[in-house]
Amino acid sequence: MKEKKLLALGFEGSANKIGVGVVAIDGTILSNPRHTYITPPGQGFLPRETAQHHHHHVLPLIKSALETAGVTPDEIDCLCYTKGPGMGAPLQVSAVVVRVLSQLWNKPIVGVNHCVAHIEMGRTVTGAVDPVVLYVSGGNTQVIAYSEGRYRIFGETIDIAVGNCLDRFARVLTLSNDPSPGYNIEQLAKKGETFIELPYVVKGMDVSFSGILSYIEATAEEKLKNNECTPADLCFSLQETLFAMLVEITERAMAHCDKKDVLIVGGVGCNERLQQMMRIMCSERGGKLFATDDRYCVDNGAMIAYTGLLEYANGASTPMEESTFTQRFRTDEVLATWRDKESANA
Amino acid sequence: MHNKSSGSVFQLACALSMDGVAAQWDFNCNLEVDLGSEENALIVYTALAVDNELQPDKVKRHMSVSNGKLSANFEAVEARFLRASFSAFVDVLTLATKTIEEFGPKKE
Repeated sequence: MKEKKLLALGFEGSANKIGVGVVAIDGTILSNPRHTYITPPGQGFLPRETAQHHHHHVLPLIKSALETAGVTPDEIDCLCYTKGPGMGAPLQVSAVVVRVLSQLWNKPIVGVNHCVAHIEMGRTVTGAVDPVVLYVSGGNTQVIAYSEGRYRIFGETIDIAVGNCLDRFARVLTLSNDPSPGYNIEQLAKKGETFIELPYVVKGMDVSFSGILSYIEATAEEKLKNNECTPADLCFSLQETLFAMLVEITERAMAHCDKKDVLIVGGVGCNERLQQMMRIMCSERGGKLFATDDRYCVDNGAMIAYTGLLEYANGASTPMEESTFTQRFRTDEVLATWRDKESANA
Repeated sequence: MHNKSSGSVFQLACALSMDGVAAQWDFNCNLEVDLGSEENALIVYTALAVDNELQPDKVKRHMSVSNGKLSANFEAVEARFLRASFSAFVDVLTLATKTIEEFGPKKE
């Protein structure tokens, strides 16, 4: 008889997207609907308004996720939610809904680290076994590799995330935030012809973006007014500079850990220019680039469901009174128990 | 189709008092919500009790359940802390209640 596969329902709402996904233990994604809070051009998203957005959409998303997957609450084995890192008020929406559902349906809860979830989703979708991971999004920028039970951070931003730098520059140009500011920068950058020199800030294994943002914010208006360059040139130059920095620290981490492959995850990971630059570097080192499209690299419920399910299958769950959320939760705080078993089986 | 007994009729008994007993905790507010059943009230209580107040030195929250009603008492050192905390609490309370209405057992 065929054994029933473990199923999880996962909730993600740490930033401006609320997503609910149903995933099986073998990595099959049965459903993964999400809704994005899109602010007007020139504006970012604030915690309170973002939480209101999530309040409004989370319950219909649960219905849609269950319907699309064709499963009933009875068939779900565990409820997973993003414990952190992220914005407090938006995180609380997933946590509260999961606590109520856990009592209504009598199901265990698993709290999941958002960064680890991106990595596991990327690994299962692309089949990358043991890559150096570049995790780039609006809130995080980290170069990560697995070593002795944990995902270790080899390099990271010392101030703002690369996606935050891009998003805020999009506000300077009042580009649309639909579907995302980064996507619109990427499209405009394709029309760029002149490279404008910008500060390049790599500090050992780490990067810094806030100075670059200040510089381009301060000079963009003047340069545009004097017809020294076009908005497209600025987008192109900013992308080239930021991505070159990321490729540099990723390559250094590869040399350090002696790994050949790279996996890019996180919202900025759908940028095709970043993928192209990273692919060139990997091929020069005899390795391979693994990347996904916006369905999986942008925040989603399935990544939380899948990672929570890996933990659950290894005997872990989160008691109700510990089902808190936290704005700060580093990638290397999580003991990746499932990875231990993988390497033992290999 | 909604579970009648868990109707989200908030019975709000909110009284702001500035002549509290302890001089420091001058700003008080009470909220009582009828959740229709002891079971629902306990589910909401359990879900909301997990999160502590973010500034325990400025706002204290005490919750209790009796007769299917959830009571919450807030004490704060300044009106703005009381307002922020109370308002955030009502938001998550509404979310928890709606979740029960949507996914709770459909009783007669």
